[in-house]
Amino acid sequence: MTGHKKEHGMNERLDQLGRKLVRAAADNEEVGEAAASSSFLYTRLRARINSERARREERERWRALFGVVWRAVPAMAIVTLLAFVLFLSSTFGRSVGSYTDEALFGARDAGVERVVFASDRQPLSSDDVLATILNDEERGNLR
Amino acid sequence: MPDGHTSIKQEEQARSSLEPPDFELVARVRSGNESAFEELFNRHRRRVSLIASRFFRQREQVEEIVQESFTKAYFALNDFYNEQEASFAAWLARIAYNSCYDELRRQKRRHENALSDVSEEDAAWLEDNLRAGGAEGDVEGTAVTRDLADKLLSRLSAEDRMVLVMLDAEGLSVSEIADSTGWSVSKVKVRAHRARASLRRVLQRFL
Repeated sequence: MTGHKKEHGMNERLDQLGRKLVRAAADNEEVGEAAASSSFLYTRLRARINSERARREERERWRALFGVVWRAVPAMAIVTLLAFVLFLSSTFGRSVGSYTDEALFGARDAGVERVVFASDRQPLSSDDVLATILNDEERGNLR
Repeated sequence: MPDGHTSIKQEEQARSSLEPPDFELVARVRSGNESAFEELFNRHRRRVSLIASRFFRQREQVEEIVQESFTKAYFALNDFYNEQEASFAAWLARIAYNSCYDELRRQKRRHENALSDVSEEDAAWLEDNLRAGGAEGDVEGTAVTRDLADKLLSRLSAEDRMVLVMLDAEGLSVSEIADSTGWSVSKVKVRAHRARASLRRVLQRFL
């Protein structure tokens, strides 16, 4: 109990001394007054404002450039990706696709039948087509 | 409140009936009238200088804070909306305190490993003062005491030093400190408590 009181008393004295030291350190009014009345202070301030303005403008320019790049990069990436997908799909479509130009736009007996049976890539004669149709009809009649 | 602040208030009251209020000057600066900013600067330069002189001993440092504060204020004028008279002064004071705080932090970083020595004489002086219950003589005013106080306070963190100066030297209340720094009231209370404990530890090291 006595020890606690002693410590409390010590702390109070330290606080008092601390307060006085803080006040002593902050007792600097004459320097403040001198600084306030210093000549050309406003001129120096204007110079500082102007240089700060120039710095901010420069920073704004960089920011604008960065903004353009920031928007342009994803847009360019999307365009590139689309182009790549188109390229892939066209290549893929050509290699797997079963319809050749000849099948679609064949000069001989162009018609639906030729397109349908063009998957084996052998030109069909009119007789082949007629035989197929007749076969189909016979099968239908049998049913 | 210390004398400097009282006379500033008297100056403001005398001026208010004759000259355009601060918010009107702010509006003029916003519309491109640069001479209105010079008028604002002339009105408030003393107040900002006195705030800075609480934290910094050298005149160059004080002038640096004045320039820094007014430059920040100039570029932040669009953020100033409160059109009550005297609120510009409070707004500017807040900027000034923040500039002091930033500078204290920069100083602290620069001098982190360069602790200024407290001489045996200083330690003896501290001990005598403590034995006398902190009531020996006029502590304020002597250059030696100021030097010693500066050495000791430089060992505190920027936040601790800030809050102690505002409490003990400026005589501000907790809520006024909260207004001036943008900290919450509870943060100021906690910070003040910790700052006192830190200063006690610093003092005990030399006793």
